[in-house]
Amino acid sequence: MKCGGFRVSYRADERIFDTALPIVGLVALLAVLCVIPRYATTYWLDVLNRIGIAIIGALGLNILIGYTGQISIGHAAFLAVGAYSTAILEVNVGLPFYLAIPLAAVITSVFGLIFGIPSLRLRGLYLAIATLAAHFITTFVIVHWESTTKGVLGLMVPPATVFGLPLDSDARVFYLIFALAVPAIFFTKNLFRTKVGRAFIAIRDRDVAASVMGVNLLHYKLLAFVISSFYAGVAGGLMAHHSRILFPDSFTLLVAIDYLAMIIIGGLGSILGSIFGAVFMTVLPEVLKLTATSLTGVYPQAFGLIASTRDVVFGLAVIFFLMYEPQGLARIWVRFRSYWQLWPYSY
Amino acid sequence: MNEQLVFMLQLVITGIAVGGVYSLMALGFVLIFKASSVVNFGPGELVLFGAYISWATILQMKLPLPVALLVTLLVAIGLGLVIERGVLRPLIGHPIISVIMVTFGVASVIRGVLNMTWGSDTRPFPVLFSPEPFHLGPVPVSPVHLWSFVSVLLLLAAFSLFFRFSKTGMAMRATADNQQVALSLGISVKWIFAVSWCIATVVSALSGIILGNVRGGVDFSLADLGLKVFPVVILGGLDSVAGAIIGGVLIGVLENLSGGYLDPIFGGGVKEVAPFVALVVILMIRPHGLFGKAEIERV
Amino acid sequence: MSRVCGPLARFVIVGLLAVCVSAAPAAAQNVIKLGNLVDLTGPTSDQGKDIAQGRTDAVQWVNEHGGVNGKKLELVSVEYGFQPPRAVAAYKKFVEEDKVLLVLGYGTPDTEALRPYITKDKIPYISGSYSGHLTDPRQTPYNFPGGIDYTSQIRIFFNYVKETWKDGSRNPRVAFIYADNAYGRAPIESGRAYAKEIGVDLVDEEIIPTVLTDATSQLLTMKKKDPDFAYINTNTQWVPVVLKDSYKLGLKTKYVVNNYGLDERTPGLAGPAAEGVIGIQDVAYWGDNVPGMKTLMEFHQKHHGSDTHASPYMRGWLCVIVAAEAIKRAGNAPTGESVKNALESLKEFDTWGITPPFTYTNEDHRPTNRARLVMIQNSKIVPMREVTVDRSMKWIGK
Repeated sequence: MKCGGFRVSYRADERIFDTALPIVGLVALLAVLCVIPRYATTYWLDVLNRIGIAIIGALGLNILIGYTGQISIGHAAFLAVGAYSTAILEVNVGLPFYLAIPLAAVITSVFGLIFGIPSLRLRGLYLAIATLAAHFITTFVIVHWESTTKGVLGLMVPPATVFGLPLDSDARVFYLIFALAVPAIFFTKNLFRTKVGRAFIAIRDRDVAASVMGVNLLHYKLLAFVISSFYAGVAGGLMAHHSRILFPDSFTLLVAIDYLAMIIIGGLGSILGSIFGAVFMTVLPEVLKLTATSLTGVYPQAFGLIASTRDVVFGLAVIFFLMYEPQGLARIWVRFRSYWQLWPYSY
Repeated sequence: MNEQLVFMLQLVITGIAVGGVYSLMALGFVLIFKASSVVNFGPGELVLFGAYISWATILQMKLPLPVALLVTLLVAIGLGLVIERGVLRPLIGHPIISVIMVTFGVASVIRGVLNMTWGSDTRPFPVLFSPEPFHLGPVPVSPVHLWSFVSVLLLLAAFSLFFRFSKTGMAMRATADNQQVALSLGISVKWIFAVSWCIATVVSALSGIILGNVRGGVDFSLADLGLKVFPVVILGGLDSVAGAIIGGVLIGVLENLSGGYLDPIFGGGVKEVAPFVALVVILMIRPHGLFGKAEIERV
Repeated sequence: MSRVCGPLARFVIVGLLAVCVSAAPAAAQNVIKLGNLVDLTGPTSDQGKDIAQGRTDAVQWVNEHGGVNGKKLELVSVEYGFQPPRAVAAYKKFVEEDKVLLVLGYGTPDTEALRPYITKDKIPYISGSYSGHLTDPRQTPYNFPGGIDYTSQIRIFFNYVKETWKDGSRNPRVAFIYADNAYGRAPIESGRAYAKEIGVDLVDEEIIPTVLTDATSQLLTMKKKDPDFAYINTNTQWVPVVLKDSYKLGLKTKYVVNNYGLDERTPGLAGPAAEGVIGIQDVAYWGDNVPGMKTLMEFHQKHHGSDTHASPYMRGWLCVIVAAEAIKRAGNAPTGESVKNALESLKEFDTWGITPPFTYTNEDHRPTNRARLVMIQNSKIVPMREVTVDRSMKWIGK
């Protein structure tokens, strides 16, 4: 069993996997993913689908915040642009989904580019506030551009079709979502093994220093916004196909806060963290819901009380992680793993 | 007088009146930022808290009005201390994103606890101000707005004096200026942070009471108004008390003018979004706002 | 290690326990499950609290009185914060995990979002949303609005205007004031058409944000058009803002408010500004003299006598009363389809007097065409009269 990083060649240093075991694990995981839709109920598939979408969205946000250090509270707006562009391209233009989703992602990237321009002058909380404003402006446009977005009445999205097979059930959308989520994870992993990814990290750690070292801030900051919003565009496109009806209410500020919570709880600047965070923030409400439902089976009168604990639990979870485990679930996982790797000689 | 002119005058005066409430909310935000550089992303929940506590003390416990208000303010101070001691002090020195996120977390907890305590139905708010409007020339103004404006001005005066002459006030300014120098001069920065949070929660509670009267009732949507604070403070300058007040008034006026002139064209909603458009414009032109300190690092 | 793992382990254990508890098999076959979707934390949580309470109470009452066909009802309740995606998720759980027979739904956006699923899964869906879009069985065969639809209400408003208008020299001028959301906009299109049809001049439409603190600029714009009547379509907690600002500006316009905008709390919220305002009442108010109120009052007194209730509480009971009757009629082995048919067999069904009698048919899912007009006088709600609109098929589904 390995217990450290001892590498003697550049090749070894560049490897994603040090040993064969994780590869076997991954293949097994992928195999499990392939057969899950046969066995899971629609409800749990729905949860898994939302996890898959959240993973893509959280990866995008983590690239921007966790890796590049540009704070954005406007992620819900990015998702909304992706979702609405996908829907509009399919409904009004008549594109098939495999063209609509990438195109929508490109549109979202352009949108992200515009969003990102303030980041050239502002940073930290000023950027956060600017993106907050952008969120409200985007919502305004969606609500009031009724001829195209159908405003508050909701925009119906037809199911995507693959070779004449409509993706109209959770089981079928599942494959679409994970067919995009898995490559998204690998793309992100590789991104941070390239020049671009390292430039992002340099900017996060100290942008002036990065600039001195020859990182073109203008270029890379905007690129971070573009890549991040591309992910959000894809996630939004999948949301359009998953829920098949879009409302401005589906993209409130709460959604943006949920995504922020994902990457905080999962782990800033960590791919595994994005995944953990997406799982945690999607499953937590479900667990609370199940608890509430089962408890109200026993005490029906307490439903109101139990249901409103959601806000408290969410808030406490965020506070708990920020205070006691700022590097999130990813860090807990690493500790857990190294403990067992060295067991029984762990320290 | 010309009808168009009266229309505009009415919009402007209403804007000033409504802006007074925004100023009050922004004041709490600015005080926290000024002393501890913490951006509170849940200002609405502090307002909501104040509104609910004053409702509970006046109507539920039926305390006499002055006692009830005193209790409300004391509870607000308690909340300020709990937030500062319990949550923000341990996070001193953490990245901005952590501090932003923790204020979201605190807001969520406040919301949830209030909901669990009192439930979410609208509660009629005690009527503290006469509903009869009085007339400012051709423009009717409701007394609650006038009183909120008066309290804003009083608070402005009080804070100006406080920052200028009181020891704590000067210490707060020193801390805002440079924490390390303040520390080396023997100022207890922790104490300053706590004081600033207490003042902020008290001011927020006041705006809660006023908003409760504007609405006629309290319910959870009151907290959504907290977001209006951001255009106000960006316009006025994040660390300027006077800026918060003038910014509030200007945003109120901007809202009403765009509501009066642009809403009919766009089919509604401009009134709500105009402050945020202004926010973006200000950030691009003059990020430190009208009265803020220009110390943003240019990148 | 232990510092982190301690709390974490506890969390995991609590979570697992929770899942185990919930996964415990339901007591028996003798239970009929109903999905219950409510908002207790979102923008409409004001109504949601009492609706949830009313539904819970009504189910408990039904069970205490022998259940339905010898079976007990069980509510599977989910709080969704008025977010359509969460409603869809909750619905999938209702259908897949809990195998509910029927869903008691909530607001307009989520009900409209669920329309395709409901039709596909054949789940009867009694909604708190009375949107006219849900009333046409040809398009939404499983949607049953739990009260007089918004389109009928706006027609009641126009009829009222027409009736009270005595000035022969010109048509009455009306304005709409509505919230910028799916609920606020639901009847507007039909309202415009109906105005044209009956010869009332619609002179202005003012859109107000969902969360409202100041409507002065909207009312000033409206004042320029000088409408004689205005129809307000938003929720109880924001209507007082409109009324107070109107009072401040001294407008002479006569206001009519829809069913979700005005209830027994309005006089307390709006004070003198509420004087003379007219409301369209769909359910009995708390304490009204109707046959079922005694039961409600007694139940309330027995289980939670210290709190107060308003009309949403009656709406909560209403849903369950209607659902229970339909399930009863569907016999011993009710299915979604048979319950739907049973609902469509309700003819002049007496809802304990809480509402006018309900009639659903397989051509028309508008439960009733009757409502009551009330007026606020001396800070009290005073009933004016019963009103009826025709059930013209022209307005169905709109």
